[in-house]
Amino acid sequence: MLRSVSGDMSIFWISLGMGLAVAAILALSAVAFTLEYAVSNVVNLAHGEVLTIGAYAAYVSDTNFHQSLYVCAIIATVFGALAGMALNFGLIERFRNQKPVSTLIATLGASLILQNLLLIGFGGASVSYGFAQGSLLHVGPFLWTTLTIRVMLSAVVVAGLIYILLQRTRLGKALRAVSQNRELAQVSGIPARSVVMQTWAVAGAISGFAGFLYGETIGTITPTIGNGFLLLSITAAVGGGLGRPYATLGGAVVLGLVMSIAGTYTSSAYQLVFAFGFLVVMLLIKPNGMFVRGRALTVRA
Amino acid sequence: MLQYWTAILTEATIFGVLALGIDMIWGWAGDFDLSAYAYFALGVYMTIIMTVGKAKAPVEYVLGWRLPYLLAVVIAVVVVVAFASIIGAIALRNLRDVYFSITTFGAVWAIYYLVENFTPLFNGYNGVFGLFDPLGQHLSYNAYHYFFFAFCLLVLFLVYLLVQRLSTSPFGRMVRAVRDDERAASVYGRNVFWAKYRTYLFGAGLAGLSGGLFAAYIGAFNPLDWKPTEIFVLYAAILVGGRGNPRGVVLGSFIVYVGFVEMTRYIPSPAARPELGPALRQILIGLLIILMLKFRPSGLLPERLGTDGTGVRRSWRSWLTRSRRLPDPRHDDVAPDPAIGVES
Amino acid sequence: MSAALLEIESLSKSFGGVVAVSDCTMTIREGSVVGLIGPNGAGKSSVIDLVSGFEQPSSGSVRFAGVDVVGKRPDQISRMGMIRTFQTPREWRDLSVLDNVRVGRSDLERESLWRSLTSARRLRRQDSIDTEELRELMAHYHLDERRNDRAVGLSGGQKRLLEFARIASAKPRLTILDEPMGGVNPVLGERIGEAIRELKKAGSTVVVVEHNLPFVEKTCDEVMVMDLGSVIAQGRFDELRDNKRVVDAYLGNDDE
Repeated sequence: MLRSVSGDMSIFWISLGMGLAVAAILALSAVAFTLEYAVSNVVNLAHGEVLTIGAYAAYVSDTNFHQSLYVCAIIATVFGALAGMALNFGLIERFRNQKPVSTLIATLGASLILQNLLLIGFGGASVSYGFAQGSLLHVGPFLWTTLTIRVMLSAVVVAGLIYILLQRTRLGKALRAVSQNRELAQVSGIPARSVVMQTWAVAGAISGFAGFLYGETIGTITPTIGNGFLLLSITAAVGGGLGRPYATLGGAVVLGLVMSIAGTYTSSAYQLVFAFGFLVVMLLIKPNGMFVRGRALTVRA
Repeated sequence: MLQYWTAILTEATIFGVLALGIDMIWGWAGDFDLSAYAYFALGVYMTIIMTVGKAKAPVEYVLGWRLPYLLAVVIAVVVVVAFASIIGAIALRNLRDVYFSITTFGAVWAIYYLVENFTPLFNGYNGVFGLFDPLGQHLSYNAYHYFFFAFCLLVLFLVYLLVQRLSTSPFGRMVRAVRDDERAASVYGRNVFWAKYRTYLFGAGLAGLSGGLFAAYIGAFNPLDWKPTEIFVLYAAILVGGRGNPRGVVLGSFIVYVGFVEMTRYIPSPAARPELGPALRQILIGLLIILMLKFRPSGLLPERLGTDGTGVRRSWRSWLTRSRRLPDPRHDDVAPDPAIGVES
Repeated sequence: MSAALLEIESLSKSFGGVVAVSDCTMTIREGSVVGLIGPNGAGKSSVIDLVSGFEQPSSGSVRFAGVDVVGKRPDQISRMGMIRTFQTPREWRDLSVLDNVRVGRSDLERESLWRSLTSARRLRRQDSIDTEELRELMAHYHLDERRNDRAVGLSGGQKRLLEFARIASAKPRLTILDEPMGGVNPVLGERIGEAIRELKKAGSTVVVVEHNLPFVEKTCDEVMVMDLGSVIAQGRFDELRDNKRVVDAYLGNDDE
């Protein structure tokens, strides 16, 4: 995902900067993943595919319908939301009375289906967005393109929207109630199924938008980009605190740092190895997450 | 034609051994382990690099011995079990259910990327090769393939006997109890970690063994041959055949594996789009997994109960009528896990 | 006076800032049936968790049959002869009822992987011999008819009886029952009372944590009362009825 050369400090900052853009996208994806876990108590292994669907939706509206950047972004978000809701309705809700591991396996099946549908529809070769990269800018020690800056800004804006949603809307409060105890929330008058569906729509929208941002930043997309994002989202969420949006955000930041540093001093291909090493270490010493208090003796879903 | 079927059945047999190993960890002990494929791959790699001799530049890999094939397989299994003993000790201590699965998910991809990029290990992206017909150079081409199939079939049969015996033994019974309720098991004196760990190592060993067989079958091995997404057909096979039932697992392996390979023959795959066939296959596998989990999680041959034989009719037709009348035995319904101490 | 089987001394446990058990001291003598009562939040279940190894105390000691058990795992303590239950029945759902009771017997040496592979035939023969004995036991608890069914299919009451059958087949030195009467109808309650008496006859010392006071009165030789994390009184049930501290504890924290 990143290109880096070892050693030189300025290179470090440059790669850190580039890494920041991707890390921002990763943070959004991770928060969406954690919201899905929070509200449905499910590890959604098809999460990466929602992102990919958004990325391809934007691609289609760009290539086939020649829409502007902003319209493509909206299309990606909408399709992401639709994908999230479809996943919830078609799969997650139907496995509600089964063990979480069974649902995890089912989402694995869904991931296979979605990824290969995209493969059939768009082919395995990478396709590119047609949006301009913009000029380079020096911002402090970082070297960014205007595109990168726009990506990071929109990520920050979305993060802000998520904050508002969680803290200041009724949905946010209902979400927290449902994630604590769905039956209790239902009995207290909260329409749990509707809240769950809305949350999946929101999580899907965020993922779809993240997919669009990814396409913008990297320039090309393939049907399998979801794999990397799934794994890194899991790492960030579990490392920070599964089911908790702010803790997950923190986890994403730490993960981004770990990967950047790893990428500078070793080849970029090993960044993923380090990322997963980070996941395993976190699960061993602090399985509830870095930013979550308390230690569980045995960690079960 | 016969050639074709021999090849497919040989593969199904080899993967049958792998499936038996995976089922021990998943069906018996209840741990959904996504890193089983890594043990399989390690078995393949180790077998090859211990039989084809030293690496000649620009190819790189470790070891590079020239051992007889069967000895190499045995050592490969030992290496795989040693590797699994480390991972198992880490993952099984405190992690269960979803967290365990996520850990193995991360681990298998980490191993995959490591092997793909760290060339000195197994020659990275290009992989290792050179294991030709290790069991019978003097046989004719066709005869060798039949012979090797018979060999794999024999191995599967022996493994099946062993696994079936273990499954119905007190050990197998105890592992199921630990799976069903760990706290109750520890209250009755069972060491939960040790039970899962032994099962894990045995299953990993079988995975390594199947890797050893596959090495001889395929002769060369590189990361493209074992992308972790390829293993899901086996999970589907285990689900179809019957989780926790060695007979079911073998049955499922043959049905699903052969069935899918056969099916893709009839799916049009235009030359311009070669990925169509495999993609459709993966979609069907995904659907199969979801449908089995939802509607018949116990599979065709459900896990056998420890009964005293009397009053239980074992007729072929009974499973047909049973499945229609009674609720599915392994419906994986959430058993509420009550807090140990509600303040009292 | 019979020997002390379980000795708890100055046991304390806090969870975060909440004190669950505070300087709790009690001695359970061999051969008795002891009731452990007290209002909600008194710390009764926490004491059970601490004694059986599911929690580690902040301070204090626990000696079982003279051996210090603090720091031991639950399975290690069970092997010493202690079996405890939980507030809801915990059967092994996908095992047959027969197997549930069989595994309860705790014949651990048979479960070695090596022996299971090499002595399979002999082990199977032993299983058949055991089946006779187990069927008698199950018939006693009215479970014989369901012996070949998956345990998950039993009714709630049958699951409770299954737990007793399982304990009986394990022949423990000490049985700790955590609210065995929770949500139980009077007929089943009679049966459970009988089961406890049979456990005592078979040689097990029994500790019963309960809220159902009439049941405690009928079943237990001796009663210990806990409140706010420690033992505030002990003695025979009728003695405690007039004990002011006990009455206050129940009335003061009454949220039953």
